[in-house]
Amino acid sequence: MEQLINDLKLQIKEALNLEELSMEDFDENAPLFGEGGIGLDSIDVLEIIVLLEKKYGIRLSNPKEGKAIFQSIKTIAEYVQANRKK
Amino acid sequence: MVNVIGYGIICAIGNNAEEVLSSLKAGKTGIGPMHYLQSSHRELPVGEVKLSDEEMKRMLGLDEKKVVSRTVLMGAIAIRQALEQTLGSMVNGQWSMEGKRVVLINGTTVGGMDITERYFKQMQTDDALLPLVEKHDCGSATREMADLAGLRDAEVCTVSTACSSAVNAIILGAEMLRRGEADIVIAGGTEALSRFHLNGFNSLMILDKEPCRPFDKTRAGLNLGEGAAFVVLKASPDPSKGGGKQSPGVSPVYISGYANRCDAFHQTASSENGEGAYLAMTDALLMAGLKPRDIQYINAHGTGTPNNDASESAAIRRVFGEDIPPVSSTKGFTGHTTSASGAIETVICILALLHNFIPANLGWQEQDEDCITPVPLQFSLKGKIKDSLPLREGRGGSILCNSFGFGGNDSALVISKKTAPLQPSPEEGGFKVQTLGECIIDNVEQLGELRDFVSPGEARRMGRLMKAATITSLKALRAAGVECPDAIITATAYGMLETSEKFLTDMLENGEETLSPTLFMQSTHNTLSSAIAIRLGCHGYNMTYTQGGDSLEWALRDARRLIETGRARTVLVGCHDEATPMFQAFLRRMGKPEPPMLYSRSIVLSATNS
Repeated sequence: MEQLINDLKLQIKEALNLEELSMEDFDENAPLFGEGGIGLDSIDVLEIIVLLEKKYGIRLSNPKEGKAIFQSIKTIAEYVQANRKK
Repeated sequence: MVNVIGYGIICAIGNNAEEVLSSLKAGKTGIGPMHYLQSSHRELPVGEVKLSDEEMKRMLGLDEKKVVSRTVLMGAIAIRQALEQTLGSMVNGQWSMEGKRVVLINGTTVGGMDITERYFKQMQTDDALLPLVEKHDCGSATREMADLAGLRDAEVCTVSTACSSAVNAIILGAEMLRRGEADIVIAGGTEALSRFHLNGFNSLMILDKEPCRPFDKTRAGLNLGEGAAFVVLKASPDPSKGGGKQSPGVSPVYISGYANRCDAFHQTASSENGEGAYLAMTDALLMAGLKPRDIQYINAHGTGTPNNDASESAAIRRVFGEDIPPVSSTKGFTGHTTSASGAIETVICILALLHNFIPANLGWQEQDEDCITPVPLQFSLKGKIKDSLPLREGRGGSILCNSFGFGGNDSALVISKKTAPLQPSPEEGGFKVQTLGECIIDNVEQLGELRDFVSPGEARRMGRLMKAATITSLKALRAAGVECPDAIITATAYGMLETSEKFLTDMLENGEETLSPTLFMQSTHNTLSSAIAIRLGCHGYNMTYTQGGDSLEWALRDARRLIETGRARTVLVGCHDEATPMFQAFLRRMGKPEPPMLYSRSIVLSATNS
């Protein structure tokens, strides 16, 4: 799980071009969206959906499904572990 | 006053106005399985024009083997139809309008993209295909369309504000006529389906796999369509000054009000209260001298996405209160024809006005409390489709046509059987124009300055050209001492070439899956203008010109028009273009001068104080 969390952090940093975010600051429990968190938005949701399909073979067809999954890196990791096809 | 003296249309529900009228009245949709577009997304229904490229070339008397963009073919067909209504027939393949200043204004975003995506890989090695490079941009597509439509001598202009492009073309045409800059304007838009924009919209997850259902509770996105429509416009004398008598054969329809405003909210989403749409509708009514109760029907933008329809409904409720006129979206017939939609729907409104009927909102069944209630298809008790309802009684015989685009480029037109002199009059103001501030970037190394204006979090999604445009705009405004201009006008020949090329390359190399929405949303030409509007919170006039090397001149003309008539005190004009190594290599092989990798110039103009 720890490995997966680290992989996801790196992949999300790259896909969303979050260069200024250091790995230490990228807390897996921090909220990804809204104030006080990483500060991502709806376009980032779409990019994360693309990433999950590319890297893990997971297809989400409705961005709304993503809401519960994309709360934090931790929740994404749990979802990926349970649903990954590759 | 601006009189419509001819119109032409080609879209999923008909190859001419007569066929479109009959489909509208019969409630017959043109959306269905993909037939002509070669995409792997067969699951997505589309609103295709029911003709192959070859059939269209035959209609235009062209060699079937000649490589011509579908965008150009459809546009030429619609323009010819529109001119046939007023001028009869061509002489030697050209329309005779001697002594008249004729201007063709086209709204498009994809330009020659259907050709580029088909030959992109071969163009990289095969010199015989290189001339296609020069057919890619929107401006050259318009030029070629003018030639094929029989308007070789016309002045041409292309505007590109995503899905509101065609309405903005009509607005520009009306402005030019009112100011006496042209005698005849042919204005509208054309957009062919391409894999590029089908996949782009798909990457944003706003395409429905079922037929679209605008304003319905279960709506789940739009269906893309294609087509073209053009109107022929002429200034008619003011009746109070003894003019206004109709010439025989001229349809008694006017463009009686219009407005172009910006939502300034988000690149691909509309604000919850529909601010841009609200301002566009309100100001169009004001210009026409009409009250909301005078409107007999609203042709909504109504794409079928959850976001657009709720936002547009909120705006309509704000403008009309309790007394909302009949509303429908006709995208259930045509699909969302993106850049062409404003002109296609203008022609649909003209047909509704002339034949006194309300086009139905196909697909609507279930009320959504966040949405207005549109006029659905009428059925008899036995389940047969009944005649369309007539327009609601109204004073001036007026229809409101909404057209909104990505980046919040929101415009509205009022189309009427009668018209009062438009407000303000084009002579009012008499202001002189001065330059207040200017800034140029022509080197990638200068982009480091972005840090002074924008946080890294905001900058992370910006392409190179967006960064340059942001810096020059903000620096020019600072030099001018202007915080937020009244209007933003951009000139760009190719737009965000780097991101468009990346998206296209990715699509052709890796297939039509897992494409990046960030790249697509930056690929439309109006991204620059609208991103700056979003940053500044500028809800005023927002326009993008894409007519090759003439783009800046068109933008400056527009800025002067706004300032001289007193409609804007300050205008930010930008001229932004970039090249890529691949694009430079194309031009090198053609023996053409290589364009600079980056060029961005922003100018702040204002009225003089004297």
